[in-house]
Amino acid sequence: MTARRRWISLLTALALGPCLVAGSLEAGSPDGPGAPAWQAADKTPAEESVAAPRPPKERMEVSVLVAWTWLSILVLFWLVRLRAREADRVYRLGLRGPTAKPPKGAGH
Amino acid sequence: MKTLRPWFEERLGLGAVIGFLEKKEVPQHRHTIFYYTGSSILFFLGIQIVTGVLLALYYRPTLAEANASVARIVTELPLGWLLRSVHSWSSTFMIAIVFIHLLGVAFTKAYRRPREATWVTGVLLLAVSLAFGFTGYLLPWDELSLAATKVGTNLPRPIPVVGAWLTGIMRAGEDVTGDTLSRFFIFHVSVLPLALLAIVGVHLFLVQRHGMSVPLEEERKGVQGPVLPFWPNFAFREAGVWLILLGLLVTVAVFAAPGLGPQADLMAAAPEGIKPEWYFLFLFQTLKLFPARILGLNGEMVAVLIMMAGMGLFTLLPFFDDRPAGRKGKIITGLMGAGLAYAVGMSIWSLL
Repeated sequence: MTARRRWISLLTALALGPCLVAGSLEAGSPDGPGAPAWQAADKTPAEESVAAPRPPKERMEVSVLVAWTWLSILVLFWLVRLRAREADRVYRLGLRGPTAKPPKGAGH
Repeated sequence: MKTLRPWFEERLGLGAVIGFLEKKEVPQHRHTIFYYTGSSILFFLGIQIVTGVLLALYYRPTLAEANASVARIVTELPLGWLLRSVHSWSSTFMIAIVFIHLLGVAFTKAYRRPREATWVTGVLLLAVSLAFGFTGYLLPWDELSLAATKVGTNLPRPIPVVGAWLTGIMRAGEDVTGDTLSRFFIFHVSVLPLALLAIVGVHLFLVQRHGMSVPLEEERKGVQGPVLPFWPNFAFREAGVWLILLGLLVTVAVFAAPGLGPQADLMAAAPEGIKPEWYFLFLFQTLKLFPARILGLNGEMVAVLIMMAGMGLFTLLPFFDDRPAGRKGKIITGLMGAGLAYAVGMSIWSLL
């Protein structure tokens, strides 16, 4: 460690150390500033109402909706995957590809 | 279809756009997954806009009706609860992916020259997204949202000179009232969307202008790695990612729909367990741990100023990290890692 860095470390410790010690002591004293709003809680919140449907029939309908959603997504995903593979194959064969040269320079 | 295509082509010139997208290349390497995060953010933004417009048709931003109108949306409208849940969860997903996107850019040093402006607009987009979350949190006007907004809008107050003025601007007065609700609503549905779309426009332009960045470690290899055309090869892959994200979103929205608390009472004391959204937890925990006074100064003021300095440094990161491959770059990466560990640790601590 160079002398300059030692000085910077020492000055930082001297500046921050008393701040933390003095702040902690003062925060603990009864004469300190009033507690911020998030520490001044004195009332338990009332219970939140549940937004989703509760009756078993409606819950079942919602589960069926999710199942159909996933089924549709899996079918679409399979189709998209087929198209992506086909596009890759066409690109590999050189039947269609970028005509411009790739950009050059920093970061490219 | 055959007659429609030339009609549109003559008027809109979409062929040039397709041509550009075909020429656009996506580098392939072990960090390619981060390229999917940008479009995923746009996907969730689209969902936010659609669900937000539908919710706004029934929401009433007044003191007397806000909570009741949300209750009406989730109990009386067909699938209204799902609409609200999708809106709420897609904002969470979007902000999470914005964080991942930004961290990916930061740790792969993709912000290096000539992409400094792209980084700055990206950080601005994160700030606007967080502002969306903050303003949206108050809109149900229940006990917790009121208390959290009181805490949040009080944060700038200790800042010297402009603090009290900023708090007054956010609250539309001295305290959080019905005027604050109207102001937050206007910001949430008009000011912030306009700002977001403008910044997204600049950000996307810059991304197209400079092309997709490759990570520093790939660039240092000195050889051109494999690439994939954006259209249609990469676009199909992105569509697959969107489908999976949509499935996850619907599943979470159905099985973990957000509840609605009782209507906020302006005269009531703060309830227990005030907590902001997850993305503000580390700031919240830091403020809780800061001593009330530091060397005679207001501890809250010192904490807020340190946070602002941290955010400023993060925004200007590319200008500090001007030699990302050197020792300085490694030190900055280490500091970013430490900052990330701190934010995650503080958030977990806050939840315990």
